[in-house]
Amino acid sequence: MTPTVTELLNGCILTLMTSPRPEDTGMFAAARIRLTALVNRLVALECADGTAVRVWENAALRALIAEAGPRHGMPPGDAMKITDGDYSLAALDAANARLRSLVMRLHEAAEQARDTEIDRKILKLYCEMARRRELHLAPIKPVA
Amino acid sequence: MSSATSCDALDQRLERYLGRQWGEKVAVRELTRIPGGASRETYRFDAEVGGQVKGMILRRDPVGGLIDTDRQTEFLAYRSFHGIVPVPEPLTLEPEGGALERPFFIMSRIDGGQVPSVMNLDPYGEHAATIGRELFAILGRIARCDPATLPIKHCCAAPTLVECWREALDYWASVIERDERHPQPIAHAAIRRLRRNPPKPAKKISVVHGDYRSGNFMHDGNGKILAVLDWEMAHLGDAVEDLAWCFDPLWNHFDDARVAGTIPEAEAIAIWEHESGLRVDPATLAWWKLFSAVKGCAIWTTSAKEFIADGSDLLLGFTGTYTARRHDRIMADRLTQLVEEGWS
Repeated sequence: MTPTVTELLNGCILTLMTSPRPEDTGMFAAARIRLTALVNRLVALECADGTAVRVWENAALRALIAEAGPRHGMPPGDAMKITDGDYSLAALDAANARLRSLVMRLHEAAEQARDTEIDRKILKLYCEMARRRELHLAPIKPVA
Repeated sequence: MSSATSCDALDQRLERYLGRQWGEKVAVRELTRIPGGASRETYRFDAEVGGQVKGMILRRDPVGGLIDTDRQTEFLAYRSFHGIVPVPEPLTLEPEGGALERPFFIMSRIDGGQVPSVMNLDPYGEHAATIGRELFAILGRIARCDPATLPIKHCCAAPTLVECWREALDYWASVIERDERHPQPIAHAAIRRLRRNPPKPAKKISVVHGDYRSGNFMHDGNGKILAVLDWEMAHLGDAVEDLAWCFDPLWNHFDDARVAGTIPEAEAIAIWEHESGLRVDPATLAWWKLFSAVKGCAIWTTSAKEFIADGSDLLLGFTGTYTARRHDRIMADRLTQLVEEGWS
């Protein structure tokens, strides 16, 4: 799992609170400030969309496992029992970890059984999961 | 001479160390840490000795690092290619690191260059094509060299031609297994597929830079590459590994039409083939491209783990988040495409 927003913000605070050593001033200190700003931007993006992305992903994983699982010995109830709890990022991540473990088992079983239909469905879901999780930062135009 | 204590400033320790090395009094001036890179701390400084000023770079192991690399490998890689391709001259290596608390090495400094961030848009401007041609010509020259004739042979074992891919994949897959905190189904699916659809054996064993890409070379702003840097992941293997890594969209500066933000992929391959004397098999290149995404995933998985454990190096938090997710998407898209094209 990528660091949580709390961990990222704690890193920002630690970076800003730590007095630079004499050799860390100048270019390095300026780069640390720029990096802190970029990480704050990531945290803002994650706070804005992180819950929605996780709720969507967990629902999509549940639906796929419930539909395809029985073909490969996985009872549909296994995924349905995993709930999103109080919808905090921590609860959603905990559910996500369990659902991802199940879909990995399902995917391996589908590959071994040469079940191309389920294999393709899972791969398509992976692409969409990655697309939704991606965080977009604007590129920087260098100063001429 | 007294040994260094942790209270001594870094510049004073360097003065004592270099004084012992050169047998003369040395003054260290303008010691400044350079940003970028999470696997080693990098500093620039001037060493004044015998009335002369020498520009130098210090590379010191961090307290915790992104990649567990052997500084001897990096040092010997610089030694191997100094005079063959543009690299700084390596000067001294201290694997124990007592003088500066942690292992380090020192090399000559090349001034007047610039290294763009991967976040930069069109960083090479009107010189992009010139730089791209030189970038892939240099990579071809690295691939052409016989590792058995180079100092790096003393620290890197050569895999067999048929085992290059497996050794590389086993290594990075084990890093993911070791460091992941959250199940990564895309990475594991890619690893399984890479194992089921291996590439052809390597044409020869070459030195693989390991992180050859935009952002790891210095250019003069007028179309000339001054130095290829950051050899800490150097090893022996299939040279196509470097080509695929350099082609990864992560390093293309948001420009899907030009690899490394420089030239089209077909032109880069033609230049590389001419310089290396090797041919690139498209299926082999496709395998190494997906492998590159897995390797990236492994590196960012480790950076996330290190950041969460310590929290002091924010760059690890950034790469463990932003870069990790970009590579996940690249990996998912590549994997799906290869399966659609017939991978079992």
